[in-house]
Amino acid sequence: MTAIVKRVVLTLVLLFASSFAVFAALRLSGGDVTAARLPASATAADRELFLQQVGLDQPIVRQYITYLGNMFRGDLGNSLTNNASISSLAVEKMRNSLILGAAALVLVFAIGIPLGLLAALRRNSWLDTGITSFSVAGMAIPNFWLALILIYIFAIQLQVLPAAGQGGWRYLVLPSVVLAAEGVALTVRMTRSAVLDTMGNDFVRTLRAAGLSNRRIYLKHVLRNSLLPIISLAGLRVGQIVGYALVVEVIFGWPGVGQTLVNAVLRRDYPVVQFFALVLVVVVTLGNLAASIGYTLVNPRLRK
Amino acid sequence: MSSDTDPTTNGDHSRSGAAVSPGAVPGRTPLLEIDDLRVGVKGDNVAYDIVRGVSLSLYDNEILAVVGESGCGKSLTALSVLALHQSPPLHITGGSIRYRGVDLTTMSNEQMRALRGAEISMIFQDPMSALDPMFTVGSLLTSAVRAHRKVSKDQARTAALEALADAGIEDPRRRFDEYPFQLSGGVSQRVMIALALVNDPSVIIADEPTTALDVTVQAQILERLRLLKEERKMGIMLITHNLGVVAAVADRTAVMYLGEVVETGSAEDVLAAPHHPYTNGLLAAVPRLNSKVTDLKPVMGRVPQPQEITEGCAFRDRCERALERCATDQPLLVSHQRTAVRCHNPVD
Repeated sequence: MTAIVKRVVLTLVLLFASSFAVFAALRLSGGDVTAARLPASATAADRELFLQQVGLDQPIVRQYITYLGNMFRGDLGNSLTNNASISSLAVEKMRNSLILGAAALVLVFAIGIPLGLLAALRRNSWLDTGITSFSVAGMAIPNFWLALILIYIFAIQLQVLPAAGQGGWRYLVLPSVVLAAEGVALTVRMTRSAVLDTMGNDFVRTLRAAGLSNRRIYLKHVLRNSLLPIISLAGLRVGQIVGYALVVEVIFGWPGVGQTLVNAVLRRDYPVVQFFALVLVVVVTLGNLAASIGYTLVNPRLRK
Repeated sequence: MSSDTDPTTNGDHSRSGAAVSPGAVPGRTPLLEIDDLRVGVKGDNVAYDIVRGVSLSLYDNEILAVVGESGCGKSLTALSVLALHQSPPLHITGGSIRYRGVDLTTMSNEQMRALRGAEISMIFQDPMSALDPMFTVGSLLTSAVRAHRKVSKDQARTAALEALADAGIEDPRRRFDEYPFQLSGGVSQRVMIALALVNDPSVIIADEPTTALDVTVQAQILERLRLLKEERKMGIMLITHNLGVVAAVADRTAVMYLGEVVETGSAEDVLAAPHHPYTNGLLAAVPRLNSKVTDLKPVMGRVPQPQEITEGCAFRDRCERALERCATDQPLLVSHQRTAVRCHNPVD
C-alpha cells in the first residue's frame, strides 16, 4: 500500500517537473514566436503588443504559475498560430494517436513474443538464425528509412496500401508496422533469451519427470516464467512508441499528437507544444505504471 | 554393446557375461533392470563415456541405494532411466534399461512421456528450485494428474490432496493453494514426493533427496520413503553420497566409482564388511562419535576425469592394494564372499 502511495506521489512530482522542463526549454531555446502569427510587415511595436497580449512578456516563473492555474481550471489555452482552443483539437488528436500507438503495441507483443519463443525452442536451427537476423535488422534499420522503403514497395510498386493519410484499417498498416519494428525486434531477442534462461531451470526437469507434455511445459510454464522480464520492460516499449510516433506520424501524415507537436514546435506555438508534450509524458508514465502493476499481478511473490 | 565406443575407453570387454549378473537377486524378477548401461558425451570432436557399463537391478518392496562421490555417474545413471539427461551432448551409447521387461532406451518420446510419473517417478535434489515458482502446489499436482488421466478437475484435486497427505503433509488443503516460495525446504521436498506419488507409480528414483535439507528434516524424509516402500511395495532407487543414508534406509546398495559399479550387495554386508578398497576407504573416511578426528582416513588422490581413463582398474592410482595386473587388466564385477566386487585384490 505504501508502495502504491509512493508511486503516485512520485508520478505527480515527475509530471510537475517535466511540465516545467518543457515550459522553460521552449522559452530558453529562442526563435521568433511572432513570425507565424503576424504578417512580415509587422513593426517591432506590433510584435511587442502581441507578446503582451499573450503574456509572454512576463518572467518565466510568473508565466508558469499562470499556466498551471489556467490548466487546473480546465483552460488549456489557445494556439498562438490560429487562436483555436487547444481543448477543441486535443480529443481528436489524442484518439488518432491512441489508435496508432495501441496497434503498434499490440504488434510488438503479438509478433515479438511468439517469434522469440519459436527461436528459443528451435535454437541453433535455420529458423532461429532467420528470426535472430530479422531482429538484428529490425534494430539496425532506422524507422524513417523503413517507412520510405515500405511506402515504395506497398504503396508505389504494389499499390496495395495507401502511402499516407487516415481512413480505414488499410491506412493503419504501414505506420503501425514502422512504429512497432524496433519494439518487435527487441521483444524477440528478450523473449528468446528469457525462454532459454527459464528452460535451464530445475523445475522444467521436474515437470518433464512428472509426464507433462513438452507443449504444456513450454506454453504454460516456461512462457509464464519468461513473461516477467518482458512485462517489466513493457513501459520502455511504450516510451519508445511515443518517441517514434513523432517521426512516423509526420512521414505518414497521421493527424495525431506527434504530428501536431512537431508542427507546433516548428512554429514556436508554445501553448500547443506545452500541452501535447505533457500528454506524451503522461502516456509514458502511465505505461510504466501499468507495466509495474502487470508485473505485480503476474508474479505470485508480489501478489500475495 | 555399443559398436561406436570411443578409443579413450576400454572398448569391448564383456563384463556382464554371466547369466545372472552379480548384484541381482536370484529367483526374483526385477521391476527395473539396468544392463551394461553406457552414457557419454558425443560431440563434434569429443566422445567419451561417463557411465561405463553400469548394471543394476531394482525389485519391488526395496530401497536400493546407489552411492558414490560427485562425478561418479550415479545421477546421470538415474536421469537416463527416464531420458532426462541433457541431450545433446549426453547420449546413451550402449546397454539397456528395462522396466517390466520393456526396453526404455528405444521408446518414442510420447511412450516415454506416458511412462514418466505414471510408472516411474523422480524426486530431485534441491526442492526449492525444482518447483515452478509461478504456480500453486495444487495446480502443479493436478496438472500432473491430468497429464496421465482424463479426470475432472474435482477428481484431480482429490487425488492431489491424497498425495499431499501420503507425502506426510499436515494440512494438505492449505498447502494446495500455496506457492513454492511460501514453503520451507522440508515441505517443498514433501510436495516433490507428493508429485512423485500422485499417479501411483511402481518405481521412484530419488536423486539426493535429502542433500539440501536440515538433518532433522532429512530423517523425516527418509522415514517417509521407507514407509512408502513398505505400504505400497514400491521399488525405490536412492541416489546418495551419504553412507549414513545408506545405513538408515537401504536394503541393498551399489557403490559407484568413475562410472562403474565397484561393489554391490545387501546394505548390511557392504557396510559391515566391504571388500573393495574404495568402499573400505569411504567407510574409513566417515567420522564416528567414538573416534578422534585425527583417526579419519581420507581416500587419497583425486578422481581422474572421464577422458583420462586408460586400461586396467580405474581406481588403481588411488589404491593402496594395487597389484601389477591392475594397470592392465580391467577387473570384472564378481562375487566375493557375501558381496560382488570389481577388484583383483579385494579386502577380506
